[in-house]
Amino acid sequence: MAKYVLKRILLAIVSLWIITLITFFAMNAIPGGPFNKEKATDPAVIQQLEARYNLDKPLGEQYRLYMGNLLHGDWGISTKSGRPIWNDMIEKFSVSAGLGLRAAAIAIVIGIILGAIAALNRNKLPDRLIIFFTTLGTAMPSFVLATLLLLVFCLKLGLFPVFSSEDPNYTLPVIALAVYPMAYITRLTKTSMLDALNQDYIRTARAKGVSRTKVIFVHALRNALIPVITYVGPMVAYILTGSMVVENIFTIGGLGSTFVTSISTRDYPTIMAVTIFLAMLMVVANLLTDIVYKMVDPRIKLD
Amino acid sequence: MKKKLIAVLLVATMAASVVACGNKGQKPSSSNGSGTTAPVEATKINTDTTTLKVLLGSEPDYLDPTLNSSTDGAALALNSFVGLYTLDENNNCVPALADGEPEVSEDGLHYTFKLIESKWSNGEELTANDFVYSWNRAVAPETAADYAYMFAPIATNEDGTLKVEATDDYTLEVELNAPCAYFYDLLAFPTFLPVYQPDVEAANPDGTAPGAWAQNPGFVCNGAFTLSEWKHNESMVYTKNPNFYRADDVSLEKLEFMLSDDDTAIYAAYNNGDLDFVDQKIPSDEIESLKGNPEFHVLDSLGTYYVGFNVNSDIFDGLTPEQAAEMRQALSLLIDRQWIVDTVEPTEKTPADTFIPDGMADGNGGVFEAADAGYYDATTTGAGNVEEAVKLLEDCGYTFTDKGDGTYDISPALEVTYLTNPSTTHEGVAALIQQDWGKVGIQVKVETEDWNVFLEDRKAGKFDIAREGWIADFNDPINMLEMWVSYGGNNDMQLGKNPTAAAPEWEAYDELIQKIYTETDYAKRAELMHEAEDMLMSTYAVVPVYYYNHIYLQKSNVEGVYATTNMNIYFMYAKKTAE
Repeated sequence: MAKYVLKRILLAIVSLWIITLITFFAMNAIPGGPFNKEKATDPAVIQQLEARYNLDKPLGEQYRLYMGNLLHGDWGISTKSGRPIWNDMIEKFSVSAGLGLRAAAIAIVIGIILGAIAALNRNKLPDRLIIFFTTLGTAMPSFVLATLLLLVFCLKLGLFPVFSSEDPNYTLPVIALAVYPMAYITRLTKTSMLDALNQDYIRTARAKGVSRTKVIFVHALRNALIPVITYVGPMVAYILTGSMVVENIFTIGGLGSTFVTSISTRDYPTIMAVTIFLAMLMVVANLLTDIVYKMVDPRIKLD
Repeated sequence: MKKKLIAVLLVATMAASVVACGNKGQKPSSSNGSGTTAPVEATKINTDTTTLKVLLGSEPDYLDPTLNSSTDGAALALNSFVGLYTLDENNNCVPALADGEPEVSEDGLHYTFKLIESKWSNGEELTANDFVYSWNRAVAPETAADYAYMFAPIATNEDGTLKVEATDDYTLEVELNAPCAYFYDLLAFPTFLPVYQPDVEAANPDGTAPGAWAQNPGFVCNGAFTLSEWKHNESMVYTKNPNFYRADDVSLEKLEFMLSDDDTAIYAAYNNGDLDFVDQKIPSDEIESLKGNPEFHVLDSLGTYYVGFNVNSDIFDGLTPEQAAEMRQALSLLIDRQWIVDTVEPTEKTPADTFIPDGMADGNGGVFEAADAGYYDATTTGAGNVEEAVKLLEDCGYTFTDKGDGTYDISPALEVTYLTNPSTTHEGVAALIQQDWGKVGIQVKVETEDWNVFLEDRKAGKFDIAREGWIADFNDPINMLEMWVSYGGNNDMQLGKNPTAAAPEWEAYDELIQKIYTETDYAKRAELMHEAEDMLMSTYAVVPVYYYNHIYLQKSNVEGVYATTNMNIYFMYAKKTAE
């Protein structure tokens, strides 16, 4: 296992390096620049700013300087706000991750339970109801769901403020983030569980007189979780990094909207920093997924 | 049967969600534009009389007034800093930290300001030296302030520093290059606000982070409110500064800002009573229903929305400068401005017949544009001018075939590209212009570019025709005339820049602007500015469409907030009642 993890870490470093390379040259290839403003900025000011951010140097030199600084822990300064990127990114990530973790936990726990219930009650009312709501959950775009939650729970029922600087509302954004993955996990669990329940080893276990509870939870569910784990790993990484739509509707200062804004404003250091950070999260999530695979199903050979 | 039932339930749920989304919160009813009054249902109010909850926009880039270049950032700066002058609720420049009017030398070049005794938010004395430091910092190249050029009227020393001197703690002497009719307006501009030197220098030891001192709550300022809390992309809380020079006139304890640009969330927050004031960010499909509602305010602004022609574009190839101007004049005549303001812009904007907006001062105590001034009748341009436009285009070598339905085919074919950025308004205006010009057979290709690319292409002259707009920084026509000098960074129309054979001769305009800069007789200066506007309008490179205005929502229990014609907003003297 240790050898495998080490190998994966080395591969991850290579992957991250390739990502930095592609991102750096791709963002510089698109038209526009970080200091374009409607009211023209004095060329002398532009020159000063370009020198400050090393943008007056050849691209190769810029990349070398950026990577050198990054390896020393310097994530750069935002060309848009002049703020140090690392502090801002961590602050925003902590907000996104806080919401994302809660949403992911809800999605996983409820999704698996509902999926199991649906599988065990195939074609009965609970199964129909669960499939109805999960179809709705997967079909409804997040901006519709978020707006609907805002209208019903804030404006109609008055249970939450739309905006409050003292007591921000995090319940509704968590629900908005959780619904889609929860619905997806439910459907995935149901399908895998049905598949598992029809396997020979389940029949064997039943024939040997193993209790129904043990058959379901130890034999069927455990095996049914493998496809779910495949989905959950990247999903958690994705959900932790925030959703621009949900953040905008509920006025949450997360990482999702920062990333999108940085691209439209050509804030090069922020684009690089957030891309690298998200890529690192994704790599770690995939690695953890593989390790969990091994724990759930010892037959899987990681090497 | 079960499948059908599920299908029906699904459809019903979807329909319910769509209906719910269409109804954006508790919508106030109102009187409509035609004057038919419907009962006005006031929106829910917030009864916390100590806190004003405001929406200006999303996360500001800079809170350092020297580095700010955005409208919402300017409002934040003006509510947390105060300079020598400020604007009052009637748009007049009035002394703030200046102790009355300054002494001005006979030649209008030397100003001596006496300062009142005032303090920074940390209790330190604010002196004339703070202005000397702040203004020189603003023009220093290493600060790289966008608005450094606003200090151009002030004379400079050989080392590039400004001829500004503190002769004692409360006396500030300023020397100008030439008399400046709008100097007091500049003194009320955010870039002229003082900053606290010890904080600025402590946060920027290596000179690479000039705005770092104002990036976290608690920075020293001298205005009505100090920043006490900042949740990035969520909210900012400003708390009353007891050391503000007019602290006794400030009844609010806190200003809370929602940081968002999501119209739906903002409008929902306003209707839910979570916001008391919303600047500009009102969903356009709600505006019609808000007309007549006392919470909805529309103010004139000093700005013009216009169509800009690149005078070097190849659509003018083979024409003389006069013919090219006639061609642009024809296109200007075909734009139905009234239709645009009635359909695309629901906020009662006025069709524009001059480039300098209505109401702008002339620098000589009057208003620049007389009531009956105008280069054409902006309310009647459009379909009624087709024949005149056809004649003008015939002078440019085009021939027309009357199709008998008021429209024409043009020969040779003329295809132009209209460049804009993504926006319902801009693309709507483009679509209407496309139809207007289509009446004489001109094919208009509307090209929409991402904002950043759009700015770059416009500045570089990579377009035929583009949507343009300008909001004046200060109340003087020179701000909207000097941008057209051949070396100007905002001269998107490329006047005088590597001119082609069809481009107008433009040296005379550059010379005229120089004359305006040095003219000491303000009456004569106003005449020269009229001459410059005439020269600009005679090229038809700039085709005004409408004048900007400023919309905002304000709860019925709030008073004392005021906005100026350059879109600055002052909250410090606001009062809130419980009802």
